[in-house]
Amino acid sequence: MARERTNSSEYTAPLGRLLLSIVLLLLLGLFLIWRIDSPRVEKFRAQITDRFVPSLDWAMAPVTGAINLLRDFQSYQRMADQNRDLRSELRQMQAWKEAALQLEQENARLLDLNNVRLDPRLTYITGVVLADSGSPFRQSVLLNVGARDGLVEGWATMDGIGLVGRLSGVAENTARVLLLTDASSRIPAVIQPSGQRAIIAGDNTANPPIDFLENSDQVRPGDRVVSSGDGGVFPPGLLIGEVAADPSGRLRVRLAADYERLEFLRVLRHHGTSLVSDVPQIIGPVLPKSEDGE
Amino acid sequence: MRLLFALLIVTILFFHLLPLDTLPRPWAGPNWILAFAFAWALRRPEFVPIWALAILFLLTDMLLQRPPGLWAALAVFACESLKLRARSLRDSGFASEWFAVCAMILGIVLAYRFALMITFSPLPSLGLMLFEMIATMLAYPAAVAISYGLMGVRKAGPGDFDTLGGR
Repeated sequence: MARERTNSSEYTAPLGRLLLSIVLLLLLGLFLIWRIDSPRVEKFRAQITDRFVPSLDWAMAPVTGAINLLRDFQSYQRMADQNRDLRSELRQMQAWKEAALQLEQENARLLDLNNVRLDPRLTYITGVVLADSGSPFRQSVLLNVGARDGLVEGWATMDGIGLVGRLSGVAENTARVLLLTDASSRIPAVIQPSGQRAIIAGDNTANPPIDFLENSDQVRPGDRVVSSGDGGVFPPGLLIGEVAADPSGRLRVRLAADYERLEFLRVLRHHGTSLVSDVPQIIGPVLPKSEDGE
Repeated sequence: MRLLFALLIVTILFFHLLPLDTLPRPWAGPNWILAFAFAWALRRPEFVPIWALAILFLLTDMLLQRPPGLWAALAVFACESLKLRARSLRDSGFASEWFAVCAMILGIVLAYRFALMITFSPLPSLGLMLFEMIATMLAYPAAVAISYGLMGVRKAGPGDFDTLGGR
């Protein structure tokens, strides 16, 4: 039997090697195409995800729910402690609420005096998180809204409180949100009381560091970090988080959004972005066309 | 059985994609897909034909946001070369099999990183990759035990009938 096998493999081995080299060539070719023309391949990737992930949704939702329920159950054991903490926090909050109410009235009065209209174009679409990136190397989530709902690549995404990330990869039914913690995320920001501009550069940790800060002496832990709207990608003034210093003294952002449970996310419609298209206007003014050739 | 393998890979992918922890982690779990593919390729090469491996690994690349094709090509190559060595490895015990698999994992991780470097692609963090590599090496015996015990993927003995006929 062993001899028969070797005999048969004598005939099949070259064929197998040919098949292997064809498959390897195809895969490596795909990699090279991705390296050369990544937007097209990324679009293809978004379409595959669009096909694959929503078809698993019927199973994903209950399994995620069940696991979260189990985790909640563990946290019930700490309920008494939490209750006491919450009570003391509530007392502090009442004082804050009073202050907030007064400020709100004052703010309304001032807005009225200045005759300010808040931007009515800044509306939002809410989506549910379908899946996460699935690997520890990338930080992103998949939403169940897509081009069908009018989403456009680059729009900002928030949870109820703070900025979460921006859209990168919009397919027909799904859209991927690149989180601020991803290693390739860069967001222009402004640090509030001092007005210093900086870039929030994700590095795959929970608290992304603050880069390109002009004068770090003017920035203190606890300062508010909001998006600056530089570059026109993001609407300005969205809350990102507050400054914190890590043990080595490097300034980082403690994100305001609750990254532990991203469940419902808001995508902000933002029409201020100037589209870059490959027409000559972006290089220079349009020259008047000559009528008859010369 | 081929269907079972595809089902296994899709199940692992499914659990990867569940939106359970969206916080970045400083550690990485083992690459179960690779461990299972190696375990099956060494035991029953006819259950994991090359086209199935290529499609499944490419799907994994696409869904897990890796550069498409590169990891798939390396993993398919590694599986095929393990298949060629399966004959010589089957007589020499599990330790040498494990050693060969570890060497193969190390090889493809290095090749992956090197290929990303020479194409100037964004590199994943080195610490996480090393963590994942070592975790995969340690997870290999578990993958073998699960395939052997629960799914009955054993080395073909001399008296066995082939389920697929042919080879």
